[in-house]
Amino acid sequence: MSTQIPKQTEKADETAAETETDAPSKGDERRAEKRRRADERRRQREAEEAERAAADENTVELRVFRYDPDVEGKQEPRFDTFHVPFTKGMTVLDALMYARDSYDSSLTFRHSCRQAVCGSDAMFVNGGQKLACKTQIDELEEPIRVEPLPHAEVTKDLVVDMEHFYDQMEAVEPYFQTNEYPDGELEEQRQTRENREKIKMSTRCIWCSACMSSCNIAAGDNEYLGPAAINKAYRFAMDEREGEDVKQKRLEIIEQEHGVWRCQTQFSCTEVCPKDIPLTEHIQELKREAVKNNLKFW
Amino acid sequence: MAQRYSSFDKGGRMWLLQRVTAAFLLVVLAFHFFLLHFVHHADEVSFLMSAGRMETMSYYSLMVLFLLTATFHGVNGVYNALVNQGLTGTKRTVIKWTLVAASVVLVVQGIRTANAWAGIPLY
Amino acid sequence: MSQSYNRGLIEDFSRWREFEAGMWAWIFHKFTGWVLIGYLFTHIAVLSTAIPASGAETAVLQAGNDVYTQTIVSLEGLLLVRVLEVGLLAVAVFHMLNGARLLLVDLGVGLESQDKSFYASLILTGAITVASVPTFIAGAF
Repeated sequence: MSTQIPKQTEKADETAAETETDAPSKGDERRAEKRRRADERRRQREAEEAERAAADENTVELRVFRYDPDVEGKQEPRFDTFHVPFTKGMTVLDALMYARDSYDSSLTFRHSCRQAVCGSDAMFVNGGQKLACKTQIDELEEPIRVEPLPHAEVTKDLVVDMEHFYDQMEAVEPYFQTNEYPDGELEEQRQTRENREKIKMSTRCIWCSACMSSCNIAAGDNEYLGPAAINKAYRFAMDEREGEDVKQKRLEIIEQEHGVWRCQTQFSCTEVCPKDIPLTEHIQELKREAVKNNLKFW
Repeated sequence: MAQRYSSFDKGGRMWLLQRVTAAFLLVVLAFHFFLLHFVHHADEVSFLMSAGRMETMSYYSLMVLFLLTATFHGVNGVYNALVNQGLTGTKRTVIKWTLVAASVVLVVQGIRTANAWAGIPLY
Repeated sequence: MSQSYNRGLIEDFSRWREFEAGMWAWIFHKFTGWVLIGYLFTHIAVLSTAIPASGAETAVLQAGNDVYTQTIVSLEGLLLVRVLEVGLLAVAVFHMLNGARLLLVDLGVGLESQDKSFYASLILTGAITVASVPTFIAGAF
């Protein structure tokens, strides 16, 4: 999906330049193709309005949020515009990397795997929480506005402080616990296929924090666990291998005042989740589970 | 980390009660609107007609229940909206008890009115 | 939460163009809820005029000259009150229909069509309100 090689240090820059000369065919091909397309466009343009030409240029316009508390003159937040040459299949992350590598090496954002697994590049793209590496440029309206995730403290440019999000995740004890072991000492803790299916979607969370950022309630109520953490609680509470005791403990955590009850079913989290986890559905199921659990004591 | 949150809150009960009252209000509010705007017309209201309805014990008790559930549902809704916005600490306690006091006033005044119509000498 | 740089309302309601159905439903439900609880207090206050009215003579009551009947009739005579009543109906109907939608969501029914049910409750609210206008305005002119 990504075509650009990230060049993070000057040394890497050199080696990258070398590899470019080593394998010129691919790049040349692309450039030739691009030139051909540009020529076609130019001919078209002659017949049309002059102002339409600028829009038809084969670059994408990116407006990127910039802020750096450590550098005087950059402390005032602003938007920088980058014109990035468009290539087929280009993602927002690709475009940002191009802008960083070609125009401004101080442009800061998190990314790692570039294939929607590590969850480090959730951003606010054209007013929605998106995973930059799986958001196609050609599906977006230009100019593309890229901002750091809302409702989180901005550290620098597109980087936000994730500490609060991780705290909430940790609060639900996001790891397997049980005191019900199978008989044999070396016996595996087997899960039924049905149970695996039930929790399947909830296991897909990549901790990107897009849901937390989209949640209006999490923004107002700092103590609210948030969709990701509740989904994580769901993943384990619904796992039958953990047994009744642990499930009770898990329900006690999620049915605190700032647990599931704060969810107002806005579906914002479900809409933005890059892994299509039905977060609202999971939260609702936990609410009903908690109510059923409490009705026993009434 | 479970100790970060006070253990075993009544959040769940209030949540359920909000839903139960919602279901009740859905039916009764529709009935209320239908009876007092479509069957009877609002501009033809008179004390005697209102009193005539209230004197029926079933209508009287339905309306008192209506008042109680509506007050709970509304005030609890307001309280929840404020908590969702991050209302905490002393401010929260003060607002909570203000809302409780307002509810009591509303319910007492509502029942006094109903009694006045029903001819119950408690108003 | 953003201490280093507060983006303020930019993060919330100035983004209204990007809101999805569920968010709109929540905003409308909250707004109508505030209106309804506000109305409940005024409603009881107005109806309380029945308390002094109950002390009146039977003849006065039969003639409709008591405080309660007079208050209601004069209020209902105002066109503004009639228009506000139509507004109240719209608000109440939306809150009820969307409330029914939320109850279904709480029961885990039809979560995948929650946006459609929101649009449906909007359209139904409009239809019911328009259909009720003749009944509500009748006799105000």
